[in-house]
Amino acid sequence: MADAPSSISSRKGVPAAQAPGNPVRDVRGPIKRLYSSVRDGRGFDIVLVAFPLGFLFLMAGLPLLYNVLMSFQEVDMFSLGTLMRPFVGLKNYRDLFAQPETLPILANTAIFVAGSIAGQFLIGFGLALFFWVNFPGASWLRGLFLVSWVMPGLVVGAIWNWILSGDFGVLNFVLREGGVISGNIFWRSDPNYSLYAVILANIWLGTAFNMILLSVGLSAIPADLYEAAELDGANAWQRFWTITLPMMRSTIGAIIALGLIFTLQQFDLFAAITSGGPNNSSNVTQYWAWEQSFRQYDFAKGATISVLMIIFVMIASVVYVRSTRHEVRG
Amino acid sequence: MTKQIELSGVNKYYGAYHALKNINLSIEKGTFVALVGPSGCGKSTLLRSLAGLESISTGDLKIAGELMNKVPPRKRDIAMVFQSYALYPHMTVEQNLTYSLRIRGVAKAEAKKAAEEVAATTGLSHLLGRYPRELSGGQRQRVAMSRAIIRHPKAFLFDEPLSNLDAALRVHMRKEIRTLHDRLHATSVYVTHDQIEAMTMADHVVVMKDGVIEQQGAPLELYDRPANKFVAGFIGSPAMNFVPATVGEDGRSLAVDIGEKQTIALDRQLQPGRKVTAGLRPEHLHFVEPGQGVFRLPVGIVETTGSATYITTSTATEVTVVDTTRRPVGAGDVIDVSIRPADVHIFDAETGLRV
Repeated sequence: MADAPSSISSRKGVPAAQAPGNPVRDVRGPIKRLYSSVRDGRGFDIVLVAFPLGFLFLMAGLPLLYNVLMSFQEVDMFSLGTLMRPFVGLKNYRDLFAQPETLPILANTAIFVAGSIAGQFLIGFGLALFFWVNFPGASWLRGLFLVSWVMPGLVVGAIWNWILSGDFGVLNFVLREGGVISGNIFWRSDPNYSLYAVILANIWLGTAFNMILLSVGLSAIPADLYEAAELDGANAWQRFWTITLPMMRSTIGAIIALGLIFTLQQFDLFAAITSGGPNNSSNVTQYWAWEQSFRQYDFAKGATISVLMIIFVMIASVVYVRSTRHEVRG
Repeated sequence: MTKQIELSGVNKYYGAYHALKNINLSIEKGTFVALVGPSGCGKSTLLRSLAGLESISTGDLKIAGELMNKVPPRKRDIAMVFQSYALYPHMTVEQNLTYSLRIRGVAKAEAKKAAEEVAATTGLSHLLGRYPRELSGGQRQRVAMSRAIIRHPKAFLFDEPLSNLDAALRVHMRKEIRTLHDRLHATSVYVTHDQIEAMTMADHVVVMKDGVIEQQGAPLELYDRPANKFVAGFIGSPAMNFVPATVGEDGRSLAVDIGEKQTIALDRQLQPGRKVTAGLRPEHLHFVEPGQGVFRLPVGIVETTGSATYITTSTATEVTVVDTTRRPVGAGDVIDVSIRPADVHIFDAETGLRV
């Protein structure tokens, strides 16, 4: 490796030939020299960083900024093609909160997010602990659970439409035969149940993902910690509270944050199961934003709703980044 | 003296694999017992069975007179120091030390006081607020031991606790563990693959191989009177030389076959013509004037450690001789060595048992 020292020094910004009386003779071929000048130069590092940054800015940053900008403008079908539209300040936000359906929809969103995450996490954790016992075939079965996660939301929605169907749905059948209900529940069209119908489907959709991540977290806990705790006198319940849960803290934080992001992105299930209805009883912000923009053609209102969501997702992202940074291992 | 740990007729199977074979071992209260043997000999399995982390298949295990076969680890009142230390990474040193106390519901102030007392004796006082990841290997080792000490358990179990430390620290911790044992009058069972550790630390050494106890006794007893070839070769460093030999016609001499036949005297009467294996410890072969010795051996390899020189011969059956007098010897030289008849160990050629 004749060129190794010079390439290392030039990467650190130190001139290649340090001693003037003893110049380093460059014995490399011209192509190789060109190549290494590209690879070792400062500029190459910047190009490497610039590519993904540019991509992110173009594909995510600009639309995001455009969306924020639109939320402060008056937008109609005729000004849709222009960038500089009449600036209206916080009018869109004031209008939004003056609408009677806004607060119920925000409340729906909170219920949807909380219910989905709680269900996905608790069932996912339960399954992860169950498969952690490692009975024969455990890893196979655990892999099969991922089937639900790889299914497109619209397909899941279609399946749940059958399950939830008021007349012939299997859910009603089970509940009725089990003596839980006496008459059929029209899950998708009853305002009291429509939101929970979507939550149910979303829990089914997201549980497998939670389980896999939690399984990974569980398997990363060294077995001898449990043995040490056992010898220290801890029973199974105490071991769970004092070893498993604290050791899983960063995994749990990350999963909750990811769950928050994923549930706020959940659109397909609403489109497939209830379309936000009846009468907005199962509407949530992400579906509502789309409805405002592409059904009512009120693009400013749609953008305003999106900006509100950005704030929530940002908070979730901060939680996610922080919890993955504080990994406690070893 | 009361028996603190008693194993009688203990067997352990993993499916068809017979991991522990008819183990009988009783450990007096306050003794330091070392379980030693090569990898896979069952010493760790035996230790884990004492702790309750493995169940024994047949036989009886008693701790302080109580049958423990079915008792879960947390109710055995035994502390264990793991090879990996197994410190709780999410707890500070103090929380690690007080974990067992907190689990048992000891008051916070009392637990803190106990932790401070133990930390003072093990030199951890200034580290109580640190997390395990902020400690060096030696400090972690000390936390692991303190965590065991704080409980005043019926017995301490050590599972190769020094194998992750560097050589100098290992020698130091060896003494520290022994000192601690003496101060606490504890009963300790110590697993190691290092016969030096076993010999230097223990009152009672148990040599295991393939799930069987080959021999047990005081360290010097094992060194002076190994029960079989395996123990003879395992205890002592550098290892004992084994050479094929035949008892002479008078029954008082031994024809030893190291390339060429050499005859050495015996201090006991054996059956003439019997095929045996002679065990000659390298440190028992001493140099003599040319013509005075019983062995004339060509030198193959010379290794110098400073305090001693290991000379390996180039004979068909290699023989190692230890010299501490800095005799100028090089490859190709011929050395004259002798051995006292009392220092010759004789094992049956077929069974390997001591004759």
